[in-house]
Amino acid sequence: MNRKTLLLLAALAAVCALPWLLSESGYLLRVLTLLLLFAAMAQSWNIVGGLANQISLGHAAFFGLGAYTSTILLVRYGVSPWLGVVAGMAVAGAAGALLSLPTMRLKGHYFALATLAFAEVLRSIGNTWKSVTGGPGGISVPLVPDAGLALMQFSSTRPYFYLMLVALLASSAVCWKISTSRLGYELRAVKANVDSAEVIGIHTARTKIVAATISAGMMGACGVLYAQFNYFFDPDAVFSLVSISVRVALICIIGGMGTVAGPIIGACFLLPLEELFNATLSGAGAGVSQLAFGLILILIILIEPRGLQALYRRLAARRRAP
Amino acid sequence: MALLQAVLDGFMLGGVYAVISIGLTLVFGVVSIVNFAQAQFLMLGMYVAYFAWARLGLDPLLGSLLAFAVVFCVGYLIQQGLIRRVLKAPEVAQIFLTVGLLIVLENAALIAFGSEYRSVQTWYQNESLRAFGLIVSMPYAIAFCASAVAGVTIWWVLTHTWWGRAVRSTAQDPMAAKLVGIDPDRVYRLAVGFGVGLTAFGGAIILPYLTVSPSVGEQFGVLMFTVVVLGGLGNVLGAVVGGLAVGVIQSVSGLYLPLQLQNLVLFIVFIATLALRPEGLLRKK
Repeated sequence: MNRKTLLLLAALAAVCALPWLLSESGYLLRVLTLLLLFAAMAQSWNIVGGLANQISLGHAAFFGLGAYTSTILLVRYGVSPWLGVVAGMAVAGAAGALLSLPTMRLKGHYFALATLAFAEVLRSIGNTWKSVTGGPGGISVPLVPDAGLALMQFSSTRPYFYLMLVALLASSAVCWKISTSRLGYELRAVKANVDSAEVIGIHTARTKIVAATISAGMMGACGVLYAQFNYFFDPDAVFSLVSISVRVALICIIGGMGTVAGPIIGACFLLPLEELFNATLSGAGAGVSQLAFGLILILIILIEPRGLQALYRRLAARRRAP
Repeated sequence: MALLQAVLDGFMLGGVYAVISIGLTLVFGVVSIVNFAQAQFLMLGMYVAYFAWARLGLDPLLGSLLAFAVVFCVGYLIQQGLIRRVLKAPEVAQIFLTVGLLIVLENAALIAFGSEYRSVQTWYQNESLRAFGLIVSMPYAIAFCASAVAGVTIWWVLTHTWWGRAVRSTAQDPMAAKLVGIDPDRVYRLAVGFGVGLTAFGGAIILPYLTVSPSVGEQFGVLMFTVVVLGGLGNVLGAVVGGLAVGVIQSVSGLYLPLQLQNLVLFIVFIATLALRPEGLLRKK
């Protein structure tokens, strides 16, 4: 075991101990739980956005599909959310595969447009198809007394914290596995130059579809966890362009796209910053914290669109060479 | 007859879609940036026209000129202060800069104007035109005519003025334009101002039959992208054809399909165009 592994294990142990140092259902623990979930979501985005540089502005689509799949299964048929995670992953993954068929040849702005439109269409369907989704009024996870583990319902925030931690570890492991596997190298080749990738024998279409499916499926699972954690959601919340799609992408950009550590660094930076704004500006009225979010986004793009890691390297280089 | 009526309604809607989308396609054609915040400039235009009506008593038709002027200045400054800085940056920076603008504009409007829905009253609001058994409601007819006038004006400006030629040459090749004495940065500023101003103008002329709120842009964002993709990004004439097509598709699908599927139809048209003819319906390969 080398020093790096030891350090990582120590950090993990510290994170595991965190919930016991904080109040069981307090504000801080909720924020940390959401931080872990968003890091996991960003990790899913990272597979398509970071490794293949296909900028998706529609990952909320898969998130919302996951949330609705498990919740509708639970409300209508009493299916446990543990199975709902599998179902949510399947539905979101299938949607990801389906969407990647017409969009895999698109680049840059075009891909971003197509994915954005996909999530917006699902949002409008969610709002109008009242008989299934509950419409703009939203949908609630029915609370069953003493159901606990069987229905993934906990009165304390601690179990959710560990749930999200597992989600983050799993998605990071998948991302790491992919980035060091054949698929990862193929994706980077696609990112560098599609035509050359094709010439050296990479089945670029299949590579993109596989990556899109994995990414969407992971996002769907996160949607299920969110539904269980929040107990209530509506189409505008889970299919949101700004608070889901853009936020997960921004987390990756801040932390560094295409690196396994990126989404974790990004989430640890962005979410506390947003909470800080929320706490200090919440009295100022609706829209102020979102405005701050938009301004942060613009500032980061103008200062260093490659994220904090690149910024750090740039500043360090400047210090070395006066 | 119902079908004919739907097609006519679609044309009336589509004329306005064409004008607001010309703004978007113009910005892309000249500056090579997809402005994700374009629909939020439509919202700004609606607010300018609303306040011109509420405070100054101006009809939205006159207010639309004011909306154009105000938003032109906003676009000019945004190009100078923000977009200019990412023109050579990676695509991800270009995408997220305008996404950031979208968030800032929408929430700035929410803070400044509140979340309530506002609408204007005009004398022609409840009037309608009837001929051959078809009905056109007056505000739609007026908005269509205003769009047509705006469209012809743009065409004339782009083809018959020095400025229009400068814009088109910069869109083709900024380096070559520079060689013949055109300052591309200046053209970019004017083109972005003109593009977002035009969309704001379109927002103002539809105010008599719509209400304005900070999130009104969300209804138009995907719609405008569908229009410009149908016509080919950067193609002004294509945006006109695309606008009319989207208006008619929307109106006719409303006749046969339940509400939740209408947007799906537009999306399928959008995705199919992107996948099969990303250069748009008009341009030959």
